[in-house]
Amino acid sequence: MAELGGLLWVEFRKAFRSRMPLWTSLGALFLPLAIAFLLFVARNPEISHKLGLVGAKANLVAYSGADWAAYFGLFTQMVSAGVFLLLVISISWVFGREFTDGTAKDLLAVPVQRISILLAKFILIAAWAALLTMVILVSGFLMGVLLHLPGGSVALFLGGSGRVLLTACLVTLVVLPFAFFASAGRGYLLPLGMAVLALLMANLAVVIGWGELFPWSIPLLLAQAKTPLPPASAWIVILTGVAGMFATWLWWMKADQPR
Amino acid sequence: MKTVIETESLGKRYSEIQAVEGLSLRVSEGEIYAFLGLNGAGKTTTIRMLLGMIRPTSGSATVLGTRVRQGGVEPWASVGYMVEVPHAYGELTVRENLEAARRLHPGTPPEAVDKIIGQLGLAAYSSRRTSTLSHGNHQRLGLAKALLHDPALIILDEPANGLDPAGIVEIRELLSDLTANHGKTVFMSSHILAEVARLAHRVGIIHQGRLLRGMNTTELERERRKRLLVRCGEPEVARGILAAAGYEATILTDRSLELKSDPAIEHPEQINLLLVNAGVPPSGLVVEVEGLEEYFLRLVGAEAEKMGG
Repeated sequence: MAELGGLLWVEFRKAFRSRMPLWTSLGALFLPLAIAFLLFVARNPEISHKLGLVGAKANLVAYSGADWAAYFGLFTQMVSAGVFLLLVISISWVFGREFTDGTAKDLLAVPVQRISILLAKFILIAAWAALLTMVILVSGFLMGVLLHLPGGSVALFLGGSGRVLLTACLVTLVVLPFAFFASAGRGYLLPLGMAVLALLMANLAVVIGWGELFPWSIPLLLAQAKTPLPPASAWIVILTGVAGMFATWLWWMKADQPR
Repeated sequence: MKTVIETESLGKRYSEIQAVEGLSLRVSEGEIYAFLGLNGAGKTTTIRMLLGMIRPTSGSATVLGTRVRQGGVEPWASVGYMVEVPHAYGELTVRENLEAARRLHPGTPPEAVDKIIGQLGLAAYSSRRTSTLSHGNHQRLGLAKALLHDPALIILDEPANGLDPAGIVEIRELLSDLTANHGKTVFMSSHILAEVARLAHRVGIIHQGRLLRGMNTTELERERRKRLLVRCGEPEVARGILAAAGYEATILTDRSLELKSDPAIEHPEQINLLLVNAGVPPSGLVVEVEGLEEYFLRLVGAEAEKMGG
């Protein structure tokens, strides 16, 4: 583990030189901007009328995001879905690119533990998740201020930010198994396909009432904050993250690397 | 001499395909061992098994005294390698790629990066992103990564691929220097026999996953067929004269005479004298050594025949 510092340097240098964090941050920035735009449209009936369907949607968003409390609710849901997709892209890139770019073989017969190499990648993902969450949180807050939303208070901001951060943590945990899919699939297709499947299944699980037990539904339910989640949900999410990391480690330790 | 690589009945089977079978070889310290074979012969699979990237389905491999196992950290501090096409992180510069490789080998001093950049002639490209490098410079970078941490054993898969003739000579000299003057051991695969003949101390020929022959380069030289070619105005007459003297000769399509017997090959001057005295003076005599490619194809052809029937 003494080598972790050096490995973190490698992972962070690769990520920031690739500009992937920049692109995903721009993606994250788009989410609060979109909501702010819809709120702006809803508050200007003449524009809303001209935009037809967009105007109707804007009115719906304006209804649910009329004050800071409702705005934070929307916001948290954005984190649960938006950060999930952006993080799946990020984790697919961090692990899958080693195979699509043919660089994985340079990580295999080296005098550092493979678990350290993987840990450096997971730490990068955690930092990436924090970056995306902060981009959404800060930009969303600024949008709210610019839109002069009513009903703001320090307690509300702290509580709302706390819920956003907790949702982001849960999303990060349920994204970890996609490192395994990127490794076993040796690229991007399998994790991205599995992400689509996970989202479909998550919606289905919510519809049939099993959302509290399905790992990829739980952050969404937390974001919606309709009912308090049972403690089992937290354990399911934690176990999903741990299982994802363990499966990734096992695969890197045991799978043949013929390419 | 200390054994650096040893395999015992090493084998790898992928469901229906036997990629490598019963491979036993030994590489000693300070030598260049060349692993020769056609594409798909099992060279890269063997190298990947030696590096713990592929788990053998039979047998074992020992590298620098450590039995190779997947996921282990030993003995990789003392092993440098380049497998198949060298790849690098395209968004990083040459220097950053080497810096990344250095950090994967804790204990390698920072100045090793500059040293290897100079040694491999990469100074002009050190600040360039590797996505803009030519294939030859990618190959140089791959070699630089393999040599960066001053390993005792260097495992190279087709190291001359993509290099221009000057680059090939340069790498050949570098590898020779590393073994002769720095006590390093080189295990390399290649399908270019001429390159191997100039560089290697010992050669292993692999075909369809099996080691056909292991020999030193003197033995390789001895095993290659030789023939004496004689050009003269009247080949039929010359053949009669030679036959009367006990030399069997064949007239080839270009009307030259071919003699394969050892006395003729070892003493072409006797053939010359014989023909001159008989009034059929040759216009040319040349001893031709079988090309390495021909030798190799003869060897694998004989093996295929043996297996077929």
